[in-house]
Amino acid sequence: MLVLGIETSCDETSAALVADGKAILSSTIATQLDLLRKYGGVVPEIAARRHTELIGYVIQEALDTAGKTLDDIEAVAVTSKQGLIGCLLVGVAAAKSISYSKQVPLIGVHHIEGHIFANRLSHPDLPVPHVCLTVSGGHTMLLYVENDCQYTLLGTTLDDAAGEAFDKIAKFLGLDFPGGPVIDKLSRQGDRKAFNFPRPMIRSKTLDFSFSGLKTSVINAFKNKVARNEALPLADIAASFQEAVVDVLVGKTMRAAEDRGVTAVSVTGGVSANSRLRQVFEETCKKRGIDVFFPNLSLCTDNAAMIAAAGYARMKLGEVSDLRLNVSPNVPLEG
Amino acid sequence: MIVLGIDTSDYANAVGVVDGDKVLADAAYAAKTDSLEQILANIESTLQSAGLGLKDIEGIGVGLGPGSWTGIRVGVTVGKMLAFSTGKPVAGVPTLEALAYAARRESSLICAVISAGTKDTVYAALYRPESGVVGRIGEYYVGDVKGLTALLSGPAVMAGNGAQAYSRIIRQESGMNIKAVEAAPGGASIACLASQRLERGEKDDVLSLTPLYLKESTAKAFVNKYKSRHT
Ligand SMILES: [Zn+2]
Repeated sequence: MLVLGIETSCDETSAALVADGKAILSSTIATQLDLLRKYGGVVPEIAARRHTELIGYVIQEALDTAGKTLDDIEAVAVTSKQGLIGCLLVGVAAAKSISYSKQVPLIGVHHIEGHIFANRLSHPDLPVPHVCLTVSGGHTMLLYVENDCQYTLLGTTLDDAAGEAFDKIAKFLGLDFPGGPVIDKLSRQGDRKAFNFPRPMIRSKTLDFSFSGLKTSVINAFKNKVARNEALPLADIAASFQEAVVDVLVGKTMRAAEDRGVTAVSVTGGVSANSRLRQVFEETCKKRGIDVFFPNLSLCTDNAAMIAAAGYARMKLGEVSDLRLNVSPNVPLEG
Repeated sequence: MIVLGIDTSDYANAVGVVDGDKVLADAAYAAKTDSLEQILANIESTLQSAGLGLKDIEGIGVGLGPGSWTGIRVGVTVGKMLAFSTGKPVAGVPTLEALAYAARRESSLICAVISAGTKDTVYAALYRPESGVVGRIGEYYVGDVKGLTALLSGPAVMAGNGAQAYSRIIRQESGMNIKAVEAAPGGASIACLASQRLERGEKDDVLSLTPLYLKESTAKAFVNKYKSRHT
């Protein structure tokens, strides 16, 4: 079954063709990074306007790359839950129109579920049950994945998302946007132990996260250096900050795996592309006899292939939407 | 030519179907935040009321705005993606023109006005009605209602939702004799105008069709202002 996926929940306009929830025939992403750099972040109205301009082109490009036409499409899956309302509605309006005119099923997908399926797409052998850490600029969540589409939320961030903390610190240090890849790169030249930043909530029993205290510590350390007219070791600050985030993410995920008695964890979302996070996860999991899975790098950030895969799984469970599908910018993941 | 027209720039889903200048159906469904939720069901029931299906449609007309930014994104995306997936030609129609067209039987100039969301700000344009069509005179206007007095130099009819209130302000401001007609950019008006354009071979490129916002987003306006001060 050939599924057209559409994703416009934030700053990427994306369309993809995925066969049977497994084979990616095409995945087109028009990134709005140029705009984000200009405005230092996502401006909802500007992003929504850009989606409206780009939506037809990315769908056409996804069809062309796969060598298919709309007549070959057997279902349309679209991100309808979780994201910026004005952005989501462009993708949903497009998906509904195609579903209506081609008389094919329509499936509204939760954006976070898409991220979970980025790992299923990358690793067909990913075992269940497992614990999934999904972490990006918009969210940080720990989930117990009992089966495909069956989740229990174990923990979430109480303030900033991890990726958001990367962006804010990068901005504060005068680095480029988005902060994740920039800090990752700069950290390679820095000393991870130069600053002993706090690991917020690492010892608490809950599986929730908090990054705003860490952010404050980093900013204070920077300001102290400035006040004392000392040299600013940006690479050391970046590396020490990144290490604190990584420690918390890995520590909490390990605790969740232990609590649930699973021997596999999956890590997904934009921050799962971070090289130090991958390294520490690999090392820690190896020691504990746990298998760890990451999506292919192209599936870490927002993309429509993961939405098509998640939509296919939901459709197999008999869950399809009707033409009244609307957007829900802020709803919990069901399942 | 059988043309489907849609416009979601205001708090309604306006959907109409015409065959040339013959109106087959013209409906306005109340829609606020659920514009997206209702639009396809509304298109389907309008087509049904005309005894038609989507396959019978030979062209699509879509109201480009100005109006609610979210609203016009729904209408333009649905219009262009329906055209994209059915392979039928699409023609975008400025919503102000559809509004003037709805008032085309007036003998004087028509000033089409649409609220720009904030209290006294409006989008407007002047149209001259002539043998059943309307032609725009001058540029689009975005600004407060009082500023419209500069646009209007003689007798005119103000058309649009809220035209009564706007014309009262103009009369108080300038003493000009401005009539008002409550009119809406109906789906059939959009379809008629689109049909005329399509008959003339003026279809739009389906992939690049975008809304007519007439106003930059506030973020962009801010950055441009900042840049002009610093360069
Ligand atoms: Zn995401």
